[in-house]
Amino acid sequence: MLKSNLYQEEQFPSPLRQTWYEFRKSHLAFIGLCILASITLIVILGPFVTPYSPLTQNTDALLVPPAWDGNGGISHVLGTDGLGRDVLTRVIHGSRVTFGISVFLVLVAMLIGVLIGAFAGMNTGMRSSILNHLLDSMMAIPTLLIAIIIVAILGPGLVNSMWAITLALIPQFIHYTRDFVRTEVNKEYVIAARLDGASPARIFVFSLLPNMVEMLVVQGTLALSIAILDISALGFLNLGVQSPYAELGAMLSEGLDIAYIAPWSIAAPGAAIFIAIISINVVGDGLRSALRNRLKY
Amino acid sequence: MPLLDIKNLTLEIDTAGGRVKALDKVNLTIDESEIRALVGESGSGKSLIVKSIVGAINDSWTLTADRLNWKGSDLLAMSKEQRRKITKDDIAVIFQNPVSSLDPTASLGEQLEENIPDHLVGKGWFWQRQEKRKQIVSRQLHKVGIKNHELCLSSFPHQISDDVCQKFMIAMALVSEPKLLIADEPTMGMETTIKSQILKLLSRLNQNRNLSILFVSHDLLAISSMCHSMTVLYCGQTVESGRMTNLRKRPLHPYTKALLDSAPSFSKDLLPKSNLSALDGTIPTLQHLPIGCRLGPRCPRAQKECVKIPAPRHIHNHYYSCHFPLHRPLK
Amino acid sequence: MTALLTVKNLKFKRKVRKNWWQKAEKFVIGPINFELNAGETLAIIGDNGSGKSTLANLLAGVVTPSSGQLLLNGQKLRHRNLKQRSLNIRMIFQHSKESLNPALTVGTILDEPLKLNTNLDARERKEKISTTLRQVGLLREHAHFYRHMLSDGQRQRVVLARALILNPQVIVADEPFAALDPSVRSQMVNLLMRLQRELGLSYIFISHNLGIVRHISDRVLVLQNGKVIESGKTDVVFNWPKSDYMKKLLTAHQSLVLSKLLD
Repeated sequence: MLKSNLYQEEQFPSPLRQTWYEFRKSHLAFIGLCILASITLIVILGPFVTPYSPLTQNTDALLVPPAWDGNGGISHVLGTDGLGRDVLTRVIHGSRVTFGISVFLVLVAMLIGVLIGAFAGMNTGMRSSILNHLLDSMMAIPTLLIAIIIVAILGPGLVNSMWAITLALIPQFIHYTRDFVRTEVNKEYVIAARLDGASPARIFVFSLLPNMVEMLVVQGTLALSIAILDISALGFLNLGVQSPYAELGAMLSEGLDIAYIAPWSIAAPGAAIFIAIISINVVGDGLRSALRNRLKY
Repeated sequence: MPLLDIKNLTLEIDTAGGRVKALDKVNLTIDESEIRALVGESGSGKSLIVKSIVGAINDSWTLTADRLNWKGSDLLAMSKEQRRKITKDDIAVIFQNPVSSLDPTASLGEQLEENIPDHLVGKGWFWQRQEKRKQIVSRQLHKVGIKNHELCLSSFPHQISDDVCQKFMIAMALVSEPKLLIADEPTMGMETTIKSQILKLLSRLNQNRNLSILFVSHDLLAISSMCHSMTVLYCGQTVESGRMTNLRKRPLHPYTKALLDSAPSFSKDLLPKSNLSALDGTIPTLQHLPIGCRLGPRCPRAQKECVKIPAPRHIHNHYYSCHFPLHRPLK
Repeated sequence: MTALLTVKNLKFKRKVRKNWWQKAEKFVIGPINFELNAGETLAIIGDNGSGKSTLANLLAGVVTPSSGQLLLNGQKLRHRNLKQRSLNIRMIFQHSKESLNPALTVGTILDEPLKLNTNLDARERKEKISTTLRQVGLLREHAHFYRHMLSDGQRQRVVLARALILNPQVIVADEPFAALDPSVRSQMVNLLMRLQRELGLSYIFISHNLGIVRHISDRVLVLQNGKVIESGKTDVVFNWPKSDYMKKLLTAHQSLVLSKLLD
């Protein structure tokens, strides 16, 4: 076989690229990533494509079954709900809220968590251990419970539930960042950077953060699936997004009353949550094993 | 008849870049009551040879050998049970890092007693057997030069110092009275005084108990002080082997010479701060092994023929694999 | 002539506490006094736990001494001022692998000390990096490499390049050869000596390989339990040792070299 590469040079991939090669080896994880990418695409582009508004009620087409049913029609692919709203449109808009807000919340929680965690990790003594033990004990309580408690105090509503979930997600980022910083900060490359005259903040940003990216990605995916579940759970309990706005959890609870007559009205949002969470978890798992395998070489 | 006789041992490993010969036709013999050194730098496959001898290789690796004989019987043709019996009774291995190869949760005494084979304890009531075990244990420790055996036996691995720990490992390896002791870098990272103690102990054991030792290391100072013969490895190929005195006096392979030169203590007439002679380049990784003689790209005497694997040649007992050995002038 | 580096009464104390009800054990180093001239190599030898690594850390500024002072060309070095120190004294660590950041390329690693301590612009820094890489026997292309792509010897060279890049006068090396294979070690020894000749560097280096210490050092400092028990010219110390420890060490070494282990 004639190779175009004359000097059989082997390319040494960078750490990130190597992770990607390892990740691609697992087909399941790759499929998960594809699904995740298409969900993201639908969520971003969906509202521009859908012909209906998620809120317009249509009394002419109440409880129309999905297209594949004998009584259904192609105009409402996933049927309509009890108020004649198109289910597909509502699922797309609902995913936008659930998915979009979760991503936003995870990013905010990550930012705050990493900042506090870095502070706790780079410091020693009283300040660090107070942060550590206080927040570690928070991790013992499920995030949903914390979120419900916070919402119970602040009152229901989308913004309040966003606050609640962000606060509930922060401790785990603090914990992992602090652990990471603690183990790395005494390694010789950090000491070398310190001897170069770098300030603690600079050491963290330029020496530690590049090594932390992968850990953050893995933790981020885990947090994302938790956030999606929590948002839809709060919506389902009528503590989060209030009707008539579309949100997957709220749609589930609305559809619950007519579940026997119109099962599609809960099947569609349920399936959306299911697919989103399973693909995120598969991707997270794939990433973690890719990172583990990468370290073998 | 040699105790252990290895001829053309080849070990192939599958890597991302395809199948690689991690060991390429390695020859090694250990005679009865001999200390044989196995010298090689990192990546030369020293520990792979040790693993092949004790049969601890990964199932996905392919091992072929013309001969892998233990006292004349072929180890590769044996059943698993037979082979295990040999490695259990006759071969003992001590490792580089003594503390980490001991169980941290059990006291040293318990670990040593556990290693005593039943036939040494003999028959009797359980308290008699217990008594016997205690005797064997303290005798063993005295043999390796640990005087305060009570204290040593009751302590845990992290409580004793490195040299005592290594001595203890030797005691533990010898309790089953093996014929061959494989010492895998036993003095790595130790200070000179402690190192010389351990080496003294090993050579005394060799003389008093007729124990054969395979001493695996890259520390030429340690090797040349105690070994009778030596085999030099480079990247999975046997480069040179023979009596220690011959090799030290007149190395035939450029690599052996480079190794000997790398220890400034050997050459007395070396001026302080003068340049040491060194090979260029670095040790190739498993994925980038050169063809033919693997030293080729780094060798000062390399020529066109070196892309072919040199056949082993010998002068009396001194084996070497080189197209252009040092005793022949270059054309 | 004043010495390049003068160490006066350098002391370091650390309390090691095993349990909070136990009395704290004190670990003391010093007082240590020595002088180092330009272009000279000082070797520090001693047992594990004799405090030689801590001494290296003290000199390089990793830990702050409890008392005493360091004078460079007669000028006092402030302990907390790492910028001042890093322009003059640089350190090489034992494990070349650990002392390079795995997520950064060699170029970025070398860029950092320049960014922090010099006023060079991006082009000048790049120029400086490539000359330094060539100085230690690497290629300019190695700047794009990551840690895991380099062999042990190459990594040690990168570490050396990081030390050299600020044109220091003293390099403190903590067991720079211990983790290297013999054939690569000789290269490294040669490189260090060549750089000393060319740049007039002074080295303070820690090793327990007596052969190499004898070969490359001008003077030796022997530490035991944090105290200097012997010091002097390498020749003198190796041929006429005064302290029991050094005598024992040399006998052990000689017995290895002369293969008279059992006599």
